[in-house]
Amino acid sequence: MTATTGTARRWGEAGVVARPLLPASLFYVVFFAVPMLALFVLSFWRANGFVLIPDLTFDNYEKIATSSLYRVLIIRTITVGFITAAIVVPLAFAVSYVMRFVFETRGQVILQLILLSLFSGYLVRIYAWRTILGKQGLLNSTLQWLGLIDRPLEFLIYSNFAIVITLTGLLLPLAVLPIYSAMSNISRDYLEAARDLGAPAHTLIRTILVPMALPGLRTAFAFAFLLAAGDFVTPTLVGGTQSLLIGNVIADQFRGIGSNWPLGAALAFVTIAIVLALYFLVMRLIRWVTTW
Amino acid sequence: MKEFLRHILESKLNEDVSRRCFIQGAAGLATLTVLGAPAVAEEKKLGGPLNFLGWDGEHGGNVAKEFLAKNNIQMQASFQSAADEALTRFNTGGRGSMDILTPNKDFQRAILESKTELFQPLDMARIPSAQGLFPAFKDAPWLTRDGKTYGIPMIWGDEPCVYNPAKWDAMPEKYTDFADPKYKGELVLLDDPFGNIWLFAKSLGMKEPNRLTAAELEQVVEAMLTVKPNVVTIGASHGDMADVMVRGDASLGIGGWAYQTLIAKDKGVKLVVGSPAKDGTFFWSDAYALAVDAPNADNAYAFIDFITQPESNAALAKELGSGCTVEKAFDLIDASVRDIYPYDNVRQPGGGILGTQIVVPPQNPEGDIVGSAAWVEAWQKYKVA
Repeated sequence: MTATTGTARRWGEAGVVARPLLPASLFYVVFFAVPMLALFVLSFWRANGFVLIPDLTFDNYEKIATSSLYRVLIIRTITVGFITAAIVVPLAFAVSYVMRFVFETRGQVILQLILLSLFSGYLVRIYAWRTILGKQGLLNSTLQWLGLIDRPLEFLIYSNFAIVITLTGLLLPLAVLPIYSAMSNISRDYLEAARDLGAPAHTLIRTILVPMALPGLRTAFAFAFLLAAGDFVTPTLVGGTQSLLIGNVIADQFRGIGSNWPLGAALAFVTIAIVLALYFLVMRLIRWVTTW
Repeated sequence: MKEFLRHILESKLNEDVSRRCFIQGAAGLATLTVLGAPAVAEEKKLGGPLNFLGWDGEHGGNVAKEFLAKNNIQMQASFQSAADEALTRFNTGGRGSMDILTPNKDFQRAILESKTELFQPLDMARIPSAQGLFPAFKDAPWLTRDGKTYGIPMIWGDEPCVYNPAKWDAMPEKYTDFADPKYKGELVLLDDPFGNIWLFAKSLGMKEPNRLTAAELEQVVEAMLTVKPNVVTIGASHGDMADVMVRGDASLGIGGWAYQTLIAKDKGVKLVVGSPAKDGTFFWSDAYALAVDAPNADNAYAFIDFITQPESNAALAKELGSGCTVEKAFDLIDASVRDIYPYDNVRQPGGGILGTQIVVPPQNPEGDIVGSAAWVEAWQKYKVA
């Protein structure tokens, strides 16, 4: 066999392997990569009233770097993303643990119930949270009926608290799926062996459960943090007057008179860059903690 | 089914569009199809596609259903989420594929004044129904340029305060009075930079509230910030504002929509309309316009003429919970919808207050006067503060 035929065969094998990926790859190139590239190019253009002017200017990025408005918004957005992820991931971890090791096979029933919650629309679920958290909502009414409060707790709705709670409710099912899936591969024997050797619960979590469920935790964190940081509908509907996030401002730049598409595009890329950098930083941190 | 799914998708995609959300909801409830109305344009030329890009519901999906079917016209409607979306599409490959557009009055005025290419002058001989428009809409300044007409209004309205009468007897005299701590936790605003800034600029006594210098804009935002502690939330749309008030989370909406009172009534909540006596409010109107290089102009003219007939206009106004623009349509509308709008304004020639009042700032800075982008940024700063 010559070297040429060997290489050709390897390419042929690679082609066979890659072929199933082709439709999805094509889809992503056409509907994700190309629009993103167009948006990136747009971020160097200028807007003059109703007209977009092709250019190669860094003015939009400079404006973002020097504006306290965008700085405040990006920090607030990242904070909301982190807080949401910090609540969602441990909750999802606990739910997954119970499903996997307490309910075992009956855990599937709980999984189906969790999946059921995803059947309702995104907006419907946000409005449902409004019904729960509102001044005259379920929670306030119940607390008043129980005599625990005299007047409605106003911080429950139209606040950053409401955003985090609503996002937690929305994202928890998405976070449970990868963690539960990862935990399904952890044998109960490992836990029992560790317990027999006298390992306390926190050691079980740190040395067995977290490292072995790490791929699921990573995905869950990605879902919770990235989706929370990128959301602008939830802050619009349950956030109050102090709850504007960067997503809202980006959306504003793409609609209506006075919009500025190039600035909106630049804002989107700056946000993506910061959020991704933080995401990878957290991933490194998790890896360091679990191997320490 | 396909049409139904598209209808739902369009409504979701355009969810953020203030009164348009209601329009969609109302469209489902009010199935006022006007039957058997004649097509005025030459029927032999009709048929085929009619491309519509405008506000949701203004394509007359229910009102014109029979007319379109009878004339074999296939309405291909897509809905905008912002006033300038038509221009964006026009300039990014849409030219030659757009027929009917539905600009609001300030956007249409800005386009005509800047001589930006988008609308073509209308051949009024092909829209005889337009003779029946209220005087305010026949020669309105935002619709005409150089003696030519560029739009036929189909609905109008105002943006008053909407409030719960169980909590408030009346509105204060000025918008700046809403800074009073007695309104704490009671106010809801609309996420509309221009409407809000305009109202407060007017309240501060600025002569041309849509033409502000940077210093004046800052002064307006400062005035608005004195009210902010009393604001519960900023509604994404008029529908959202109504929802906040119906739930009892706020009791007073600034820059609301009279139709919110009807929505609330359906849900067993009484809301009424009223505005600060000294400051008043502002008015809007949407019109049908024909895009430059419209490929189906015959269908478009026939459609506009049909929908400007009294029966059609009344049905559309009722479906969209708005004011009618045709005089004879007035008597065909239920008092419940009709009486929520101050029709005296549109009985005056020249556009009345609608003609003199401009809410939207200049697109670009004009000397010391800041442009619309500065208003948007000021509004964002207000929301962040």
